[in-house]
Amino acid sequence: MDHPLVRSEGVTETLTAPPSAPGSWERFESLYRSSRDDVYAYVCTLLRDPAAAEDVTALAFERAYRRRRTFDRRRGEERAWLFGIARNAALDELRRRRRVATLVGEPSDVEPVPDDEGAEVALRRTAVQAALAGLPAREREIVALKFHAGLTNAELARVLGVSESNAGTLLYRTMEKLRTACNATA
Amino acid sequence: MRLLDHDEPMDPEVAASLDAIDAVLAGEPVGAEYAELAEIALLLSAERPQARPAFAETMDERVARRFASVAPAAARKPGRRWRSAGIWEAAGAMAAGVAVIVGIAIVVGGHNGTSSESSSAAQYSSTSAASSAGSAAASAPAQRSASAPHRAQNSAAGAPAAIAPAATTASGSAATGSTALQPPTTGRKVVQSAQLQLAAPPNRIDDVAQQVYDVIGELNGIVNSSTVTQTGGSDGSANFQLSVPSASLGQAMSRLSSLNYASVLSRTDASQDVTDQYGAAQRALSDARALRTSLLGQLANATTTEQVDSLKAQIHDAEASISSDEATLARLNHQVGFSQLALDISARSAPPPAPHHSGGFGIGRAAHDAGRVLTVAAGVALIALAALTPVALVVALLWWVGSAVRRRRREQALDSA
Repeated sequence: MDHPLVRSEGVTETLTAPPSAPGSWERFESLYRSSRDDVYAYVCTLLRDPAAAEDVTALAFERAYRRRRTFDRRRGEERAWLFGIARNAALDELRRRRRVATLVGEPSDVEPVPDDEGAEVALRRTAVQAALAGLPAREREIVALKFHAGLTNAELARVLGVSESNAGTLLYRTMEKLRTACNATA
Repeated sequence: MRLLDHDEPMDPEVAASLDAIDAVLAGEPVGAEYAELAEIALLLSAERPQARPAFAETMDERVARRFASVAPAAARKPGRRWRSAGIWEAAGAMAAGVAVIVGIAIVVGGHNGTSSESSSAAQYSSTSAASSAGSAAASAPAQRSASAPHRAQNSAAGAPAAIAPAATTASGSAATGSTALQPPTTGRKVVQSAQLQLAAPPNRIDDVAQQVYDVIGELNGIVNSSTVTQTGGSDGSANFQLSVPSASLGQAMSRLSSLNYASVLSRTDASQDVTDQYGAAQRALSDARALRTSLLGQLANATTTEQVDSLKAQIHDAEASISSDEATLARLNHQVGFSQLALDISARSAPPPAPHHSGGFGIGRAAHDAGRVLTVAAGVALIALAALTPVALVVALLWWVGSAVRRRRREQALDSA
């Protein structure tokens, strides 16, 4: 893994592990250890349903395990490949929701502010939560991939199927939209 | 917001902002102009959902088991998994199976047809007709193609087909084991005959001759005449004039062509349509009988001696004609019912072929069989490939369309979420 792995827990062991053959079990396990929490965070932000996010995350890893021998490094890094699978699984879940017309309970968009935070910070955090909740799913996905899954701009572009510069532009526009929304809330 | 579908050059301000975001996420300081952006980035990162410890443990266990047990996520949508994987596998297996079956059927069927056609084309060459048949159509010498040696020729007025006399000859090894020709005889009176020349070792002339007797006896045939000469030296011969039931001519030729110790030198099959002769004889017989009946009536009414004598003479002539016509019909019936077969056996010092029924097996035959098996296998594979190619193209097209539709629906689901 040559990308910064700073988010998921239990990563240090995999960073020192010797490189193994593509499609091997060791490689998959390393990918799992380094990406489990990131995948969950991305899917949960996209679906806004923790229970469904757990199911989709499990399904994504199982699919990745089944298809691990089809991974082609020439087409991108493993993390981008994994998040592509997770994205398809999440979008399938969204489609399933549309078909069955099930009312999905969404988590509260604004979580309670810890008492130890300052009033200003709490206010800003509330504003960001509200702005994030107000974003369309496609822009919320960009935020999830960048800030919750920790993908680089190149990986983000790979998952979304656009060029890196376009991915950067999309991210910039989303951030501008969030900033505007936060300022309006304030 | 729509995804950009083209690669735009990145604005310097955008690039700087992105760099600032990456810097703040990496814990590095950023300029004051990006303070607000950095704050939002940090707050967004702080909003990262955390997985429940129980879920993490469950996932760890499942991964440790390598998803061996029935996974809840997978078990929740068994039908979908079956549709996504099983259908394609089943369809592919079915298509491959059908292609292989079709290939085998084509190869086997094509092999039989090709063999039959090639044997006719290779083993038989046309010869001229043997004799006249008494009719215009039948009297002309006819050249017959090997693939259709006795094909009926219809007149322009739609008259019954007249089968001209024809003969086909095969010689040498090409005649060995060939099946007897069977001209179309439906509704026709056809006289068939054949000539067969065999070669056998001088000391085996008697054995071969005895086999000829046995075969003809088993087929209820008649040995009209035979001459068997064995000198004990390097020469010898045997000649047979045989009559066999026409229905058994093919079988007789086949069996006589495969006698032990004998090899076929040449073989001639001939046929002659005598339908016209037969019909003419029948009409003549009918006319003669009618004339005799009429003369008998006149004789009963005759009043003078001269009339009686004259009528008796005419009746005698009519009866002679009747006898002649009946003899002609009987001869034709015999010729049609029994085919004449001339068989000559000559001594030849060359090593005889192995007995046909010995079932010998050697390296050469094994190599031949192996080559044949490989040829058939290659043919089946080629035909299967030809049959599978369009199927594969259709499957690939359906897969591509299905993928595009699925991708589009996913994007639509994201837009409407």
